[in-house]
Amino acid sequence: MSLSARMILVLTLVGLISGGFLAGVAKLTKERIALNVQAEIEEAIDEVVDDAEVDMLVYEEEDFVIYKELDDEGRLAGLAIQATGVGFQDKITLMFGLDASLEEITGLTIIDQSETPGLGAKIEDWEDFLQFWENRDARGLLTLRKPPVKTIGELLPTEINTITAATISSKKVLEIVNLSLERLKELIKQEKISVDVEEEDGN
Amino acid sequence: MATKSIRAEYIKGLWDENPVFRQLLGLCPTLAVTGTVITGIAMGLATAFVLILSSLVVASIKKLIPAQVRIASYIVVIASFVTIADQVLKAYFYPISEALGPYVPLIVVNCIILGRQEAFSSKNSVGRSFIDALGMSSGFILALLVLSSIREILGAGTFLGYEIMGSWFKPWIIMILPAGAFITLGILLGIALFIERKTKRSE
Repeated sequence: MSLSARMILVLTLVGLISGGFLAGVAKLTKERIALNVQAEIEEAIDEVVDDAEVDMLVYEEEDFVIYKELDDEGRLAGLAIQATGVGFQDKITLMFGLDASLEEITGLTIIDQSETPGLGAKIEDWEDFLQFWENRDARGLLTLRKPPVKTIGELLPTEINTITAATISSKKVLEIVNLSLERLKELIKQEKISVDVEEEDGN
Repeated sequence: MATKSIRAEYIKGLWDENPVFRQLLGLCPTLAVTGTVITGIAMGLATAFVLILSSLVVASIKKLIPAQVRIASYIVVIASFVTIADQVLKAYFYPISEALGPYVPLIVVNCIILGRQEAFSSKNSVGRSFIDALGMSSGFILALLVLSSIREILGAGTFLGYEIMGSWFKPWIIMILPAGAFITLGILLGIALFIERKTKRSE
């Protein structure tokens, strides 16, 4: 066999055998990986919406997903909104909850971020940042409180605490949420989503 | 080369030819994922998995591969094992996979792995290649463990997530930032070189 033919044969065989193995492994792990991603989202929803028993996906864009949350009796418990936006270092993906009246943010959690460790990455910390997202007024736009305060009681209902030495990361999270609130209002206005629970109690 | 005892073949990877401290190979993951001990160990184990299996495969098929396409063939073999490691981590160790981010797929370009195939497995028996890969993996894990321990203890005051420094300790944030990785590695390389010179002189 000529050298060229041998080279082609060997590379083809190596490629085919590797490909076969990978297809097998992908088949074995695919389901579990999907379950892990699903579990991560469900966990995030449970953190931000109280009494969320049933999650219904009602709107989906690449960087903006809305879940309608029903309680165990089928009533609207609130909305969970997953949004992705630009952070200080890289994209931030977060989830926040709205109560059934859509007038109050019930909580916020970070799904994915690559902010500076020890500084901006504190947007994931309950003590430093997330606790200040409970019961915020969602009717207008939120603003940043700077210099930061110690307890949530010192903030106005429309204010979010800043993380010391990570103002930009704090601000980016706030911007993602403000933009999401505007997008949500626009969608409701255009009747692209309905939050009236009575229409879909079959689910 | 074949005159080395099995024991010596293993031991050389730990110190004399330690991939990080003596050969300065695989520095990208060494610097990038050693902010915490758990990610350091996980990266070490994933690299060990790829290195050992690739060495076994390359040593077994080395005679079938024409010299002109050997690098391409090795890379396909390595990339397959890396993809398997990545999928398995995503399916069964999801939080660790999230923490390691893009650095698992990047094991493909870790010079230690291709370097060992080219320098060792393609010229030695399967058994010797296995021992060599085992030694190099142990050396790599050891290096990552030392680096990540120093960085996590000084940068966060914890070891494997457990508080060990007490409340008086103020974490040195720089240690978990990229600069801390370079500083720590530089000091460790200096120490390694110092020990090397001392032992050489005494011989």
